[in-house]
Amino acid sequence: MARHGGGKDERLTIFWNGRPIEARAGDSAAAALHRAGIRGIGCSRKFHRPLSGDLALGLQAQLDGIPNVRLDRLIVQPGMQLGSQNVWPSPRFDLLQLARLVPRRWLRGGFEHPRALPSGSRRFEIWERLLRFLAGGGDAISPSRQSEIRPGKKIAIDVAVIGGGPAGRRAAIAEAGEGRSVLLISRGRRPGRFAAAMGEVLPLLPGNIRVLAGWEAIALYRGGRVLLAAPHDGGPAAVIEPQEIVLATGRRSLAPLVPGADLPGVMDLASAVGLARAGAIPPGQRAVLIGTNALEAIAPRLQKLGIALAGMTEAGRATRILGWESVRGIELSEGKRIACEAVIHAGPWRADPFLPFQACAGGALRLAAGELPAHIRLAGSAELPPEPTACARLDDRAFVCPCMDVTVAEIRDLVSGGDSHVEVLKRLTGCGMGPCQGMPCWDNLAATLAHLTGRPAESFGHPSYRAPRAGLTLAQAAGLADLVAPEPPS
Amino acid sequence: MKASVAIIGGGMQGLMLAFCLAERGMTDVAVFDAGYWQGGASGRNGTMVRGGFSSPEWTRFFGHSHRLWLGLSRRLGHNVMYTQRGYAILAESDRTAAVIEESLQVQRDCGIASHPLSQDGLARRIPIVARARVKSAMIFEDGGTAPHHAVMKGLRAACEERGVALHYDTAITAIERQNGRAAGVWRGEELVTADATVIAAGAHSPAVAELAGVELEGRPWRLEAMATEPLRPVLDPALALLDRTVYMHQTARGEIVGGCEVHGDFAGATLASDLPVMAHYARHLVEMMPSLAGLRILRQWAGIIHASADFAPLLGPHPDCRDLWISAGWSYGVMGAPAAGALLAEAIATGRIDDRMAPFAVDRKRRGRLIREAAIVVSD
Repeated sequence: MARHGGGKDERLTIFWNGRPIEARAGDSAAAALHRAGIRGIGCSRKFHRPLSGDLALGLQAQLDGIPNVRLDRLIVQPGMQLGSQNVWPSPRFDLLQLARLVPRRWLRGGFEHPRALPSGSRRFEIWERLLRFLAGGGDAISPSRQSEIRPGKKIAIDVAVIGGGPAGRRAAIAEAGEGRSVLLISRGRRPGRFAAAMGEVLPLLPGNIRVLAGWEAIALYRGGRVLLAAPHDGGPAAVIEPQEIVLATGRRSLAPLVPGADLPGVMDLASAVGLARAGAIPPGQRAVLIGTNALEAIAPRLQKLGIALAGMTEAGRATRILGWESVRGIELSEGKRIACEAVIHAGPWRADPFLPFQACAGGALRLAAGELPAHIRLAGSAELPPEPTACARLDDRAFVCPCMDVTVAEIRDLVSGGDSHVEVLKRLTGCGMGPCQGMPCWDNLAATLAHLTGRPAESFGHPSYRAPRAGLTLAQAAGLADLVAPEPPS
Repeated sequence: MKASVAIIGGGMQGLMLAFCLAERGMTDVAVFDAGYWQGGASGRNGTMVRGGFSSPEWTRFFGHSHRLWLGLSRRLGHNVMYTQRGYAILAESDRTAAVIEESLQVQRDCGIASHPLSQDGLARRIPIVARARVKSAMIFEDGGTAPHHAVMKGLRAACEERGVALHYDTAITAIERQNGRAAGVWRGEELVTADATVIAAGAHSPAVAELAGVELEGRPWRLEAMATEPLRPVLDPALALLDRTVYMHQTARGEIVGGCEVHGDFAGATLASDLPVMAHYARHLVEMMPSLAGLRILRQWAGIIHASADFAPLLGPHPDCRDLWISAGWSYGVMGAPAAGALLAEAIATGRIDDRMAPFAVDRKRRGRLIREAAIVVSD
């Protein structure tokens, strides 16, 4: 079976923290590392907890000094040097791990500006320097390194369909059938692969539909301008201004809001399927499947891909995921424990909010979603209402925002102090300001507020989903400057 | 309800003024804001602070403000994280090099600690900058940045501790006029009477002034900024690029945050950001700091300021309505907030208009007394 860059079994070597790792040509870096048994990839910002589990968050590491490179999107190249970020002095001897022993209360939002070290004093300047050093995800880039602006491109098209699953394909086929030029944009390199793995039938795309696979729509601007990038190949970004836009971006599964949900080994269904297909799930590894519906149909498909299931249950029954460095088991509401090395979540499902929000957000006091403009529509599961976050009982130890280390306890205390506006809570804690930019953190935040106040989660709304969703480099963005004229003054 | 001073706008200007009034013993101050805390430009700005410009008017005012920044944490009893890591200004053309020269002269005359930055100095202080492009440079060694999340948190806490009543998500629907004076504010059906009423509502200030039946010159102006992924320290001082109307700094969270102005891109008073500013700012950044080209953009956002005719603040009593005070027209509001709060509080409490504040009188456009200031990175 031919793949990108050669046969399936073609081997190459990449490096993880200087250590050679064997990878297969066409692997994502995430698959290569997972196959090699590497689990703790990145560290959270304050407590330096290991992060990596959920590929929906994007496995993050540094490549060539650049932080937060998403390993699930990165195709291995021979000799590629990947490394842990946010470690010091070295990945093998990381003193920052000691932060895991610090009482969590000490590092809550605002710890950066203690009263005991007032600005204007020498002590504060030293403290601020230390903060800056520790905050850096990636190492400083060498001043000698040079890079060029990548001139962007404009693609003329009548209709853009974002998402290559069954709904996106059907929409693209219908639009093309009416004689319009259609561009189908798919984040995956093989559009609709996940849906096919779940047993859905993919309509075949006729040759007159242009397909951009491995590209991501990372922002939607006022007036319907879409920004496209293939984030990790370093090539140019592109801008399209289609007359019609179909958002068939599907849904993503959210991990339950329980302690341990951020541990390496917790992953969403799409990630598990991707890893299994790449042969990256070690034989003998046991997984527990949790979710909201159709688990009986999903389980045999996972088993067919070689994943050994140790159990299967409603996501709402999970109370805790056990482990220190990675998953060791799961605890259910009646106290029952199941030993496993992976927890795969297939629900609750939620449509990706970024592009629909950006398409209709406005306001001068607060950015809020309005009605979608007539030329932008949703298709397929992106249209379905969100399922409520799974949270059997609100546990102070659970992380609302795993990357920025915001716990339920921190939100609870702020709410008792009188702050319950999501935009205010974001500014007080940094919740949702990490690389995932609010998904799933703001859903967790709304669920936490709902538990604490008894009001429905939807009533809290969410902070604004800001463009461009992480991925665009400065060089790629710079290449767009000649393509995008500013608006005329009003 | 009754207050000695009713302040419309709970951003940095409104809170700083409330704090300064409370410091003078006036504790029944009420602050009203139609939005959420930190929702306006006070939570969306570049956070950079320096004490000098190219005109004596700006330099005297902002020089005073900068000195107040140095001691602000101790006064508030809360840490505003003002860090003196320096503030550099770069010029790439003869025109802007002349602005720097003029600025240094004016600043010397006003006693501001700034000095030219040689090519060697540039290599030492800002090694990642493309020095071949730089014609002339200067630095304020004790300039720096104050992250708005810390400043706003400190101000909010300090105000609350002193009994100031803060009302967010509370729109003022009318301003009460009695015998030619502003006598208070209406929030819906409730009148809050006040001895003095202050408009410090950022971009919304002209619209709020209309509630009192008076005019306030200027227009809403959208500015955009963005943050990159966090890096270990690569950029020490805050940086303004005069030719490019670009400003940036690296935050304590490791992100490089900054923005630029794209001519004409101020349409629509919306907080939604757009592509042109991000693309142009990225190009400026890559041209000036090529080693950052591979760095990723984390997010982009917009804020709306109130741009006056000369981009200088509108500060002081409103000439057409007694007991109505204005702190608006801010494009350098973070920098100016401590001085504006202190001098306006003094004016409200004693009636005395400080010399440093007087040039920024609200009706200077009408009187043909606009201030020429060239060392700013906003322009028509």
